[in-house]
Amino acid sequence: MEADGQKGRYLYCIAAGGEKVSLGPIGIEGNEVYTLPYQRFCAVVHNCRAQPYTSADQEVVKPWFIVHQHVVDVAWERFGTVLPLGFDTIIRGGEGHDPDENIKGWLKGDYDNLREKMEKIRGKAEYGVQILWDPMIIARKITETNPDITKLDAEMKSKPRGAAYLYKQKLEKVLKGEMEREADRHFKDCYHRIKRHVDDLRVDKTKKLDKDKQMLMNLSCLLSREKSTGLGEELEEMTGREGFSIRFTGPWPPYSFVTSG
Amino acid sequence: MEPTREPHATLVDLLDRILDKGLVIHADIIISVAGIPLIGVNLRAALAGMETMFEYGVMQAWDERTRAWERAHRRKKEVSLAQGEEIILKMFGSHFYSKGIYTTWRSGFFYLTDRRLFCGDFDEIILQTALEEIRGIGIKEMDRPVARGKREELFLLLENGKIVRLHAQDVNQLREAIEKRLTEMGLVWEENPVLPAREVRPQELFLTDGEEVVCRGKMWYLMPASSRRGWMSDTWMPGTLYLTNRRVYWQHSLEEGTTFATPINAIIAAVTEVEGPNVLLSKKGVLDVICGTDGVRTLASFSGEEIEAWKSILDGIIAKRGGTPADRERETCPQCGDAASVQELLENGCAQCGWVSPRFKKQLAYVAVGKPFG
Repeated sequence: MEADGQKGRYLYCIAAGGEKVSLGPIGIEGNEVYTLPYQRFCAVVHNCRAQPYTSADQEVVKPWFIVHQHVVDVAWERFGTVLPLGFDTIIRGGEGHDPDENIKGWLKGDYDNLREKMEKIRGKAEYGVQILWDPMIIARKITETNPDITKLDAEMKSKPRGAAYLYKQKLEKVLKGEMEREADRHFKDCYHRIKRHVDDLRVDKTKKLDKDKQMLMNLSCLLSREKSTGLGEELEEMTGREGFSIRFTGPWPPYSFVTSG
Repeated sequence: MEPTREPHATLVDLLDRILDKGLVIHADIIISVAGIPLIGVNLRAALAGMETMFEYGVMQAWDERTRAWERAHRRKKEVSLAQGEEIILKMFGSHFYSKGIYTTWRSGFFYLTDRRLFCGDFDEIILQTALEEIRGIGIKEMDRPVARGKREELFLLLENGKIVRLHAQDVNQLREAIEKRLTEMGLVWEENPVLPAREVRPQELFLTDGEEVVCRGKMWYLMPASSRRGWMSDTWMPGTLYLTNRRVYWQHSLEEGTTFATPINAIIAAVTEVEGPNVLLSKKGVLDVICGTDGVRTLASFSGEEIEAWKSILDGIIAKRGGTPADRERETCPQCGDAASVQELLENGCAQCGWVSPRFKKQLAYVAVGKPFG
């Protein structure tokens, strides 16, 4: 029997375990997190109002994200395998159903699909690999080593202003093309090297993290923690190249590998 | 190298996962976000982690192409052959692809088999011709597409008059192999045929009979999320916007299958965002086009240098039909039914119940006020 203000269930993840347990008051806003089992899985939830968490204050919102992830981590530790959900997934009740019934109904209907997903990720974690380069350094290297460009550059420097400007335009166009090709080569090279160490991977959109650097590749990789050492070693070898840097994050619960229907 | 999850250093990585990914529930049991007013600037934008459209340049287009390549790569590894078909030669190369106003060199592996020549990039066959179709073969020195200098290219003239133009690691070896196989098959061909000086440019292929392009321009389109297509959130995509005598049509600059279209008669209003809360797009602004048929309203968002010009054009079309421009156009809030001007609804949300358009709801989630994070 819920209080009127508790008609929602904030859903953190689905865990591979069939017991009803409490994980303690570790949820968002200090709510008690507990499990709702169905056969061999359970939904990890806390009771909340039937509306999403929103706030005008960054300092309020940021801890919510951290808490969300912490709860998923605790469940991951406790149950071994979890299918994580995105932030603010709140299950409602309906006409005649309470939210727990809705959850059980969904778990029942989607059981096989969930079981398949659990199998796929069992014993594995998600790691983020991002490769960045400093375009100024790379452009300089290309200018120094590419004979066509070196020649254009030298010719440009010997010309008076007007003509030099035209050369500069052409140089930039050629340089852009070369950089694209270089980026392409590196992407494919790094991709194939990394692929050898992982069980699955997703190519994500590149991001702008730093005004001086360009991200060439943003990958999410699925692999066991043991294999992550091998991946780390491969990345170590790749960091040596001038102008390149690598960000290696994780282990994350496999957010990127449970998404498709 | 050790992976890290240090919270201060990996907050963006965390947000990318918990805001964009995670298990999707295909059942109508979730509280949707659309009904709740959300105001302000996205926390991620404050962290400078958002993909920023106004930085569009070579690298961003390249990024989309590479990801498209990877998607294709992921699907399948082997190329499929017919029963009994054998590969004679496999060689990496590229062919010149031209469709409408879009031309490029598409690379992949050339496979010469006992019955056809095709070029595939993993699962996708991007060029194919049966060997019997080859009427002429020639090699010409052509300018390199990007760098200075020349290179040899192989031209195949086909029965239907079409010309296949390609480049490969060893163009001569490829030609010899093709000619050898043609001889074995008892076929004849013309050596170094005369090629037409210039390929005739075909019309834009999406045009229907009697449809003509009135104007066109480069424009970004906000493609709605589609788990089926692999877009996890609304995504800005580069392309070309066309106005024809029948429709407004947009096509992705690289992926032809990715389009948006609406008949002219369905356009109700066009609104440009004058000064929105969306700091990401403030440099170029956004044109919102409201379309509707049979009471169902959709919103198409575009961005580019010429949105004001497009707005004038669309306003003109609406006026000619007897409609009114958006600031006077009255519409009802989809949520509470309160009447308001279209412009007001799109820029500020509904004054009555706080509804905001779907494009804003994602961008404006989880307020950050004032100072940047950290």
